[in-house]
Amino acid sequence: MHTLMGRFTLALSAAVLQPVVLASSAVEGQEAPASPAASSTPSETIFIRGEHVITRPGTVIDDAQVLVRNGRIVAVGKDLPMPEGAREVSGTWICAGFIDPWAAIGIAPESLGEAGGTPATRSTDSVDPYNFDHLRRDALRAGVTTARVQIGAGARVGGIGTIVRLAPTTKREDMVVLPDSNVWMTIGLSQGNQMSFDAQGDFAGFGSRAMDPFERLESVDRLLQMIQAGKNYLVQKNEYKHELEAWQKTIAEKEAELEKDAKKAKKDREKAEKDATEKGKKFEEKKYKEDKKPTPPRFDEDNEVLARVADGGLPLIVHANRVAEIRALLSGSESMGRLRWILAGGAESTFFSRQLAERRIPVLVMPVPMGRNRPDEYESHDLSLAARLKKDGVQVLLGSGGLDPAATRDLPLLAGLAIGAGLDRQAAFDALTLGAARALDVGDRIGSLEAGKDADVLVLDGEPLVSTTRVRFVVAGGRVVVTPEN
Amino acid sequence: MVIVAMALCAPLLAPFSPSNTPAVAAPVLGVPTSVAAPLDAGSVAIRADAIWLGDGRVVEKGTLLLSDGRIADVGTNVSVPSGTQVIELKGTITAGLIALHGYSGAPNEMVDGTRPSMPESKLRFAFDPSHYDFEDARKSGITTIVLTPPAEGVAPGITAVVKTAGGTMLSDAAHLSLVFTADGLVSNRKPTSIAGAMAMMEEMFAQPRGSVALAAEGKLPCLFETTTKPDIQRAIDFAGRHKLTGAIHGAALAGELAESIHDAKLSVIVPVIEIGKERRALVSVAELAKKDVRFGFGLDSPWNHPSELRLGAAMCVREGLDSAKAWSALTSDAARIAGVDARVGRIDRGLDADVVLWSGNPLDLGSRIVAVYVDGVRVVGGDR
Repeated sequence: MHTLMGRFTLALSAAVLQPVVLASSAVEGQEAPASPAASSTPSETIFIRGEHVITRPGTVIDDAQVLVRNGRIVAVGKDLPMPEGAREVSGTWICAGFIDPWAAIGIAPESLGEAGGTPATRSTDSVDPYNFDHLRRDALRAGVTTARVQIGAGARVGGIGTIVRLAPTTKREDMVVLPDSNVWMTIGLSQGNQMSFDAQGDFAGFGSRAMDPFERLESVDRLLQMIQAGKNYLVQKNEYKHELEAWQKTIAEKEAELEKDAKKAKKDREKAEKDATEKGKKFEEKKYKEDKKPTPPRFDEDNEVLARVADGGLPLIVHANRVAEIRALLSGSESMGRLRWILAGGAESTFFSRQLAERRIPVLVMPVPMGRNRPDEYESHDLSLAARLKKDGVQVLLGSGGLDPAATRDLPLLAGLAIGAGLDRQAAFDALTLGAARALDVGDRIGSLEAGKDADVLVLDGEPLVSTTRVRFVVAGGRVVVTPEN
Repeated sequence: MVIVAMALCAPLLAPFSPSNTPAVAAPVLGVPTSVAAPLDAGSVAIRADAIWLGDGRVVEKGTLLLSDGRIADVGTNVSVPSGTQVIELKGTITAGLIALHGYSGAPNEMVDGTRPSMPESKLRFAFDPSHYDFEDARKSGITTIVLTPPAEGVAPGITAVVKTAGGTMLSDAAHLSLVFTADGLVSNRKPTSIAGAMAMMEEMFAQPRGSVALAAEGKLPCLFETTTKPDIQRAIDFAGRHKLTGAIHGAALAGELAESIHDAKLSVIVPVIEIGKERRALVSVAELAKKDVRFGFGLDSPWNHPSELRLGAAMCVREGLDSAKAWSALTSDAARIAGVDARVGRIDRGLDADVVLWSGNPLDLGSRIVAVYVDGVRVVGGDR
């Protein structure tokens, strides 16, 4: 009988306050492992044949093949010759592995409930390739090969999200596709482990509780202030950079000048010193404005991250559901032109479809059925949300909700529910593959079957996202990790 | 919309024109206005790519004729009386789904913590046919729900079987609920232990009266509420001692005891299967089918969403449950477990016209519900 609420509370009650990790390396970003797929996977050559090969959403090549070597897709096309010694697998439909952009799989469960995170807290520090491997296996068997995981999923500030590969591995670095895919914040989510009071004001126990509207809108302000602080920090950093350059230039000019007139300058100085002594005054060295070297802004790891967010270098994912919060977020972020953000949840977001479409803000929808025992902010939750947004021209992503590591396995079925509620099947497929990859800045690595990309390939016995279709083979991380036998 | 109202359309079917609608088959109690008007259970013929009869048979390119709230005919060679409205469906027709365990429309029946044993309390008295829960259920293709008392105390009451539209009650006493799970115990009221609960239940059946007597005589099936495998074992033993029939609900791993359940001639109501349900539980459902145990699915609506009924079945199919068995579990087998198979659960002549029109394979969650008929009245879809 417990629904999302139960799991939600569970996740939060398991919260362990983790020390905030000093993340100076994270703030530089772009520390993606050079070539994780190739670095430590066996150099198996795999030749995949399919009656219908979906190379990217909307593009199908009939009777085609995909060649995989050293963890990468080497070639996709018709009439490819099979290399000698290659392992051959075949099926009816071939497509890219699914991506769960809102997952809780592959990360230490207690980190999901992290409540003390800051923008610089990194999910990648909680990535766990050793435990709950049965859940990752189940997800792979269902065709989900990649997931975005998030520390502090229920916290106002969660921290930096990470994209992980679900293929079995013993090395954390092999699991991480992108260590910093986004910054995560939430607005107005019901909080677990809160004291609740009855109508008489008597203590009624602990449980999940909705935030009051003022607290929620205050959260929006705080979020916007944080981004503004990041922007200011960026401005300061840029100003410093320019001032430093100017100062260095002036100093260099002065030095050259002094060099040139060294004798005259020496004489002038000696004279001035002598005059001062004669008059019984203290000799004061002439100070140059140029001596004042600019001071850098004080280093702040959170602002380093927020600066990237404000500058559009790192997407911001905000989990918000109600009209008031979404409206405040949209109007407050209007002036932040470079900010790239994704709205997660968005139960009531269709009121703002036009703005979301115009400003190209994708909505990350969780098409999980919810009974009446749902959290307050999901009052208007409906499986047709994705379909309604898509119809209005909003980009839709689909995720399993980020609280239950077992739910990632069921993402293809959830996509089915969204389709059953009106979402176009191809839009759902895009959401689970290239759409998600692009929104999270890994579109050059995963999400489609193209030469050079990571080899995450599904071999199916039917059309993808049809509930009765079975996954026959999964190639992930360059290996065949699922076969009909296992 | 896939529905295309075709030629042959009679001049508008007057709601109460004598030629079309002599009577509404089912009793109507407090019909919600949104469903009531016009309560036209006239005749309609639906031609579809496939009609799943509910017993495993499928009629390809068939016609279903609904008349006066009943299924008048089904097959490939149905003679459609002139003047009957004909609908062409690109998709599949099935019987309406049946949720075997729920609280929909009985919003105040969740907890009655005062007494451990109320074997005469009847859920039929709590049924509110106008409750908004039923609209959600209809939209997910559910046309029948078994209203159950919460699994608390020892004998919390008698289930009722209701339709999700029109206020029809199919059975006002379907099962006597008996609780074998420790989840039903509380610390401040007798019994406080499983052994204590068993003692009270034995005492009840030692001198059976009322509903308990009916159950002991085999005239009223029981609903055995369980959570764990030991609970099931105790329920089977108890049923054997007192020659009880009925269905076991609540234990996700019931399939791991499929043989014992089969030997005890009991059925199983699989508890609602939520997203992320452990794989072992899904495999266990497939095991029930393999061991020929009759089973259906519970929902515990409204605390779970009606779409979870079909979702759960699809999840089991993915883990090896036979598709046809899965569909029977949602319809015909569920009707037998609820004791209402003479009225609903299959598509056959004379049965109630409770059918769902799907845009494709009903076991593909991506198939949409095009229309739902209850007692021949279209309650979802089209331009009602």
